[in-house]
Amino acid sequence: MSIRISDEILQSVEKPSRYTGNEWNSVQKNLDGIDIRFAFCFPDVYEVGMSHLGMKILYHLLNERKDVYCERVFAPWVDMEERMRRHDIPLFSLETKTPLKEFDIVGFTLQYEMSYTNIINMLDLGKVPIRAEDRSLSDPFVCAGGPCAYNPEPLSVIIDFFMLGEGEDIILEVMDAYGKWKKSGSSRESFLESIASIDGVYVPRCYDIQYNNNGIIKSIRPINAKYPERIRKRIVKVLDSAYFPDRIIVPFTDIVHDRIMLELFRGCTHGCRFCQAGFIYRPVRERTPGKLLELAGKLQQSTGYEEISLTSLSTSDFTGLKELTDGLIKEMEPRKVNLSLPSLRVDNFSLELMEKAQKVRKSGLTFAPEAGTQRLRDVINKGVTEEDLIASVSTAFSGGWNNVKLYFMLGLPSESMEDVEGIAILGCRVVDEYMKLPKEKRRKGLNVTISTSSFVPKPFTPFQWEAQDSIEVLKEKQVFLRSKIKSKHITYNWHDPELSFLESVFARGDRRVGEVLIRAWEKGCRFDSWGEHFKFDRWLQAFEECGVDPHFYANRKREFDEVLPWDHIDTGVSKKFLIKENEKAFRGETTQNCRMNCSGCGAAAFGGGVCVE
Amino acid sequence: MNNLRIRFVRGEEVKYISHLDLMKVFERAARRSNIPVAYSQGFNPHPNIVFGLPLSVGVTSEAEYADIELSERMEAEDFILKLNMSLPRGLYITEVAYRTTKSNIMAIISRADYSLVVAGTSKEGINSISLKINELMEKPEIIIKKESKSGARHVDIRPMIHRLEISTECKNVFLLDYIDSLLEGFTGGTKYTRQEINCLNTRLSAGSAANLKPELVVLALNQLSDVEIRLLKIHRTGLYVERDGRIYAPLEHNVL
Repeated sequence: MSIRISDEILQSVEKPSRYTGNEWNSVQKNLDGIDIRFAFCFPDVYEVGMSHLGMKILYHLLNERKDVYCERVFAPWVDMEERMRRHDIPLFSLETKTPLKEFDIVGFTLQYEMSYTNIINMLDLGKVPIRAEDRSLSDPFVCAGGPCAYNPEPLSVIIDFFMLGEGEDIILEVMDAYGKWKKSGSSRESFLESIASIDGVYVPRCYDIQYNNNGIIKSIRPINAKYPERIRKRIVKVLDSAYFPDRIIVPFTDIVHDRIMLELFRGCTHGCRFCQAGFIYRPVRERTPGKLLELAGKLQQSTGYEEISLTSLSTSDFTGLKELTDGLIKEMEPRKVNLSLPSLRVDNFSLELMEKAQKVRKSGLTFAPEAGTQRLRDVINKGVTEEDLIASVSTAFSGGWNNVKLYFMLGLPSESMEDVEGIAILGCRVVDEYMKLPKEKRRKGLNVTISTSSFVPKPFTPFQWEAQDSIEVLKEKQVFLRSKIKSKHITYNWHDPELSFLESVFARGDRRVGEVLIRAWEKGCRFDSWGEHFKFDRWLQAFEECGVDPHFYANRKREFDEVLPWDHIDTGVSKKFLIKENEKAFRGETTQNCRMNCSGCGAAAFGGGVCVE
Repeated sequence: MNNLRIRFVRGEEVKYISHLDLMKVFERAARRSNIPVAYSQGFNPHPNIVFGLPLSVGVTSEAEYADIELSERMEAEDFILKLNMSLPRGLYITEVAYRTTKSNIMAIISRADYSLVVAGTSKEGINSISLKINELMEKPEIIIKKESKSGARHVDIRPMIHRLEISTECKNVFLLDYIDSLLEGFTGGTKYTRQEINCLNTRLSAGSAANLKPELVVLALNQLSDVEIRLLKIHRTGLYVERDGRIYAPLEHNVL
């Protein structure tokens, strides 16, 4: 069955091209030769989902196979959902407009916790039973992957199986297994059992969780000895030989990142202790400049895009940056293609590079000192000193920049009011640095923006045991910081701590919080990360009705020997190392980055990247 | 100068693209096909492509026009072939010619033809609507209220309607599939019978001097008592240039 939405409906919703597909490089296939139909679902609107690199890679990778057809599904915006529910239109894929229910496998990518209610909503709109246990042979399998899958437990009532780590190899192995199973005609359970032994596949129903009376987990054990005790994430050892599409979909309408994304490397060598990405993507593995130039050329030709962006956790750390950017500028300038350079460390080299490569106004430069005092920056192992920052902004100001954004976190472990005040003081020093320049040398109209988010302790970081500051304390800190910022050149922005509080619950939640997600969705929660749709009071009701105390997950400090809900997941980084890092944090000791000195985190076991260079 | 005028089709598949996004589609398609489009000078160069008359979101057309400046001359046939291979489904070039006149397409468009698929619910059916059309066209003036961002104002649209007729048979090949789907029923849409579906063919003023949207013609018809016409689909069938009291298609020699 194929859906053709009426013009009456499409004309009445915002941005109808979110729902029509047919974009350049989207894949059309004859259904006759297809054994496996895969729905790649992104639990947010089109413009957000289409900006996600992982989806682009896996979409084209799956479609390289003759026996698989991978299609895209996004969360309909609230206006469209209302019409779909009114007219009983099931959620459908963009390529063939097929209802979600008719797919063999439905896969979600988990990029942020506050998209979880959208997963439930999409399954419901697609007429797929929400709970894994309610699905039968005629229903699709529902799987998930992505960074939030490293703590899969909160979604384990919903998702049939998870794929941990980088998806390029594992997803093909799962497709092979599915093809075999489909031909065999055996039960749903037998498929899940057959993939539970694939490295990196986690099937929640194959594991049993026991709890102590105090609510803390007693044990996590496979229900049968044939399943692995721990599930280790998958990585691609050599990035140059990993699949990367030479064509990507070019959307009609503006999306968040409407450009070619060239992935320089995975992982990060810095080991900032709050940063989950810095630990779960280890070890650092780079592509070579030669390979990247080849990919850039192909992608530009196949898409016609006017902009290429370098993508990684920290562009400045790329060892071949100069060779790559020189090559890109030489090749792309005559084609009128711009280069965009996010997450660059600001120094003379990068400012020169930005001036050469980016035909944009000298508007914003972003710095992320994360904490206001050197003491606290040492605690979080953010290897940036005040001198570094001041030298950078000074270079930027004399280079003609006048708009500086400074990102900080409130609520970091061991933070005192002195540290909070340090943010304001640092902001003032940045302003002073601008004023030091002679008037004719600086660009008029200084604007310093200080933004604070609230710290969310994440699994697989040295701070995974820490208590999050309560909402009240976070608000106090925000008010205090506001009172300390006096300069008229500084604008202060802050995030609502309520959302960070829920993030904290679901980032470190166990199986028992799954029911809360479903209850909150029943109460109308969805698009929670979109301010206008966030309904905190309904979330609190949902916790209460399910008898789950959110503070148990967000605001409680754990002991090192406590069984954590994600202890059966193995990212390669050892718990021993994380404990060591935690202890060093509270002593204010820093850890060197991987290139300078290996600190033995455990990721060397993968035998790839920086660990073997 | 290497100024090309192109005529292209915008089909069902791409009718929800906004005008701004459509310009981007052509720019990117040109890059993909390695067609040497000329760029403007300056800090932020943009391709020299001008479109005839923006098409509203949801409207299809078999006769859209654009002027494209090339940095080097290429064969018209070659141009069509290359660009069509790089355009998404639903968009394709049907005709191309070099022009020598100065004024670009946007400046010279003055008429637009539309085929409107409508459902007439008048009890007397088509004859009644036909009578209403005659009545409307005989009026010296047709005043309607036009809502805009700056507020509502009253406009006489009669001088902007140059032709208006109804037919029970929609023979336009670009509409056949759509009408079939209306009879089968779109998902979440109303189902119609063959008898209810009619086509209004109209020629209206278009362009910078005077511009009338076809929706307003249907509105005017509905304002005449007891007729109720539902506008189901707008399809543009032509854009024209007026020169010395005569009407030309933009690719005719006289106006190139």
